[in-house]
Amino acid sequence: MILRSVELENFGRFRARTIEFRRGVNLVIGPNEAGKSTLAEAVPAVLFGTDRLEKFKPWGRNVCQAALFFEGHGRTIQIKRNLITDEVELIERDDLYHTLSQFSGKAPLRGRSASCREYRSLLESLLGVADESLFKATYFFGHHPQEWRGDELAQKLRTLVSGTAETDYAEILDELLDEHFQLTRSNPWGRDKQRDREYEEVCQQLAQQGGVEAVPVFVEIDTSADIEAQIEKYTVELENDRREYEKGLRYIERIRRQTVGSEKIVGSAKKSTPTEVEVLPEGNKTSAKDDALSDDIALSEKLVAAGLPQNPPRELPELLADAAKIRQELATFQQPLSALNSREKKIPKVPWVVVACASAVFAAGVAIAWWQNFHFLWFLLGAGVCSALLLGWGGWLHISRNKVLAGCRKERNRLDQKKLEVQKRQAELSERCNALGLPSSAVDLVRLQKLVAAHRELLECCWKQGGLLKEDVVDEKSKNAEDGQELYQLESRMAEFETGLKQKELRLQELQLQLKELSTNQPLQGQAPVTALQYRKLELEERIAVLRKAVNLLAGAVDEFSRSHLVDLNDAAGKLFGKITGGRYTAVKLDENMMPSVKVDGRRWVSAEQFSKGTVDAIYLALRIALAKVRDDGRSLPLMLDDPFVHLDQKRLAKALNLVDLASTDGQLILFSHNSDIGKRAARERWHVVPLDGDIVDTTSEEEGGDHVGQLHLL
Amino acid sequence: MTRLLGSTHVETRAREESVRGVLVRMVLEQAEHADSNELVLLEKALQMLLRRFQVMEGDVS
Repeated sequence: MILRSVELENFGRFRARTIEFRRGVNLVIGPNEAGKSTLAEAVPAVLFGTDRLEKFKPWGRNVCQAALFFEGHGRTIQIKRNLITDEVELIERDDLYHTLSQFSGKAPLRGRSASCREYRSLLESLLGVADESLFKATYFFGHHPQEWRGDELAQKLRTLVSGTAETDYAEILDELLDEHFQLTRSNPWGRDKQRDREYEEVCQQLAQQGGVEAVPVFVEIDTSADIEAQIEKYTVELENDRREYEKGLRYIERIRRQTVGSEKIVGSAKKSTPTEVEVLPEGNKTSAKDDALSDDIALSEKLVAAGLPQNPPRELPELLADAAKIRQELATFQQPLSALNSREKKIPKVPWVVVACASAVFAAGVAIAWWQNFHFLWFLLGAGVCSALLLGWGGWLHISRNKVLAGCRKERNRLDQKKLEVQKRQAELSERCNALGLPSSAVDLVRLQKLVAAHRELLECCWKQGGLLKEDVVDEKSKNAEDGQELYQLESRMAEFETGLKQKELRLQELQLQLKELSTNQPLQGQAPVTALQYRKLELEERIAVLRKAVNLLAGAVDEFSRSHLVDLNDAAGKLFGKITGGRYTAVKLDENMMPSVKVDGRRWVSAEQFSKGTVDAIYLALRIALAKVRDDGRSLPLMLDDPFVHLDQKRLAKALNLVDLASTDGQLILFSHNSDIGKRAARERWHVVPLDGDIVDTTSEEEGGDHVGQLHLL
Repeated sequence: MTRLLGSTHVETRAREESVRGVLVRMVLEQAEHADSNELVLLEKALQMLLRRFQVMEGDVS
């Protein structure tokens, strides 16, 4: 964005004047009292307003207004201000003269009205700056740089780098720390930990009154907001817990019903089974059933101890015999298959490489004989015969190999077919085993076969008594026992859960009481009276916690900002300062307190204060331009320099002007000066010169005409 | 309860390329992982800091 023109009407010594500017360097040159500073100050006055109206308003005039026209990015922005009434008119238009945004209203310098905020917001979005002091500190270079020295310079740089014009974050940090140190001696920053402060005194007074805390220990406190948050948390937790509890109750009830139901089923199954128990008299039925059950369980335990299944099927020996037979059959296939493999390996392969090499040798011999003309025909005949014999031998070998391989393949197919049939039978057997609850792997079946052979009598006994009934009984009994155990575990867990639930409910009630207490600020009936001292203690603790958090946050933000932005600023300033000093000093560094240092001899950092006034001015200039560049995001305003080089010698002035030239390459720079040397330089460099009335240039002359009237005059 | 975090004012400040902007962004980042107690503390601390920034700028109404 560049400043295209400034229109002044009854503004300072200008009655009605339009001054145009261009991209690059613009030199406004004129003698003292020609109106250079007035023109320079017109820009911030129009943008933000002014509280020095008497300086700009001519005596006896009722009108004092000025307008700025900015141009760039396909847009034009016109800002017109009546400095007497502070009425502002801002219009943003595109290339086709369509209005993009518009403002019309009062916007005084320190106004806080809604229209004023709207205007500043628009300025911020359009030009990137909405604050006069920030504009003056960043884009505006006065001719009194000496006012920024030492701590003041550091403070100014801190504020500028922090993105605001008047806010020194170090000052805020100090204020927060001071406030914290005034409240308590317990602090993590190590300043004066001996003297008791208000917090410690309150704690001691409370202890003397019979309170609990004799030694002040800083704890996070339950303020009303904290309590509310806790209540919310507990309410949500309790709702979830209650739902879970109800689910648990329903589950336990279901388990109970299942247990009772299964007992009934077992009873009815026993009744319906035609056993000896049924024919027993009514009085003896129960004891007979119990005896039968105990016998069955004992037998089952013996089977399990022997490693046999609890309910071995009657066809178990038959199955195991089948499995052994299948294993034997599968084993018989191994030998012919391995013999077949070794036979295939032994079949000789045709040495086609040897045949090819030999043929190549014969061909080479024939070629040499032809080349040397030495019995060529004989050689050709011999080579042809030998090659034919070799090829014939190779062919015979190939055919005989294929015949043998075909025989082997046929035999392998036959064996594979048989093996497949056996494997099919093995799969069927595995399915039968699985259906009977027996293991199906070969290893398990072999082991089972050995066990069956060893415990044949036990198995016979089991089969005589009938296994299925026993299994049902044992299963139901064990199931009932398991259900009972599970039920017991569930009930104990539910009891624990219920206890936790009640504790949470109690805590919630306590919190609600505390909140009520805090909100009414009155002790409740039946509660311990809360004194003003205790309230003060709570307030202090809250204040201390907030202060600590604020200090940590601000310090963290400063560190983060310094890491990300100071590096860029130092780089830019170092490059610019290197150009001003002709490469003598190439690096400028701002420390954490924003005190500038300069790298000397490529290794030592020397504080800027130790340099001469001219060098300090140059450092300052480099930092300011670097700052403007770092802040530049494409919306920046022109840099305005109001005679900032009055302290520089001729050599430094030349370098500084080079820097000015460099700084303007990407934007616009307006330099105000009375120095005729700068005027000459402007003529050489073809800067745009705006002459103001005075002794140096005569702006009324229109003979030379055009935009370069100033340059031509100077030449 | 009116919350400072999540307000338009805080969102505007978070876009600033300044120490204050970084500060607000840090608070918003911490607030994402904070429990309710920590959130209250963060909000109070941010309120205190923004208030002081405003006082420094002389923009307190």
